[in-house]
Amino acid sequence: MGRRDYLGEFEHIVVLALLRLNGRAYGVTVRREIELRTKREVSIGAIYATLDRLERKRFVKSSLGEPTPERGGRSKRFFRVTTKGVAAVNRTQREIHSLTEGLDFIRSYP
Amino acid sequence: MTSQEPLIHPPRLATWLVSLFAFAESEIILGDLQEEFSEFVFRVGIGSARGWYWRQALSTVARQLLVGFRLSPWSTVAAVVGGWLLDRYAWQLPTLVIFAVLHRYQIYEHHFGSYLFFSTSGIALGHVLASLFVGWMVGLASKRRELLATMILVLVFVGMTGASTLWLAARNAPILWSMFPWYIADWFAILIGGTIVRSHRVVSARQPST
Repeated sequence: MGRRDYLGEFEHIVVLALLRLNGRAYGVTVRREIELRTKREVSIGAIYATLDRLERKRFVKSSLGEPTPERGGRSKRFFRVTTKGVAAVNRTQREIHSLTEGLDFIRSYP
Repeated sequence: MTSQEPLIHPPRLATWLVSLFAFAESEIILGDLQEEFSEFVFRVGIGSARGWYWRQALSTVARQLLVGFRLSPWSTVAAVVGGWLLDRYAWQLPTLVIFAVLHRYQIYEHHFGSYLFFSTSGIALGHVLASLFVGWMVGLASKRRELLATMILVLVFVGMTGASTLWLAARNAPILWSMFPWYIADWFAILIGGTIVRSHRVVSARQPST
């Protein structure tokens, strides 16, 4: 497994957000989904920097939507997770589960 | 917001900065920001929405600079080194040209006031124009990373000026403080040169879709 097959922490969060949005994922919805679930303010620049990296790793694919008036006549870019991306997120989830399994967070970290 | 409601424009300067610095996705990012900004205006008011927009724009600019450098560090460094070498040559040109002209037309003998102006402020203005040319060339050489390359070049010059000033101060040597406004003007000229190239490319990239 190469270095490029790993998902970093924020990459992991973004891929999970894309999976949750299932076909409705573009900059605005991804940013809101992450803010809603993680309660942290995220910039659109951070989202696109990560999506760009994920696309280079072929974990996500993107397609252009139609321009809309509420966006000043600009298009949306929709993202979806590829099979390779799903495999990467599954692997990361398994690793996290393996590391956290059996840990008692309440007693270990008061 | 419905499509019948008028589009409320976000801060123009912040929008301009994003369009200049965003590496490849500026129109998509600006569309996302516009969409959320319009909703924020109705939800929290124009003042808070503008503050949110500025925070998002500045954070996006910082991220895009990092992405730009990470994607092509060597071509960016090559453009900066090339710009530095070009600046060493370009900086001498105004002095050579102005003194050649002053000598050729014997300005010293006939118009001493003009001679004084051209041999001091004229040369300094020439340096500003030379810096503009250097920034323009660095911008041309670093496609889509024009501002990143020119900003790094300016930081190199700021560092060199700071180090040489400290070196002179440590030896109690005289420091030409009167030249500092001209140095700052040179640095701005380099940035403006890069900005001109970037702006031209942004406008050219938009033209086919309009």
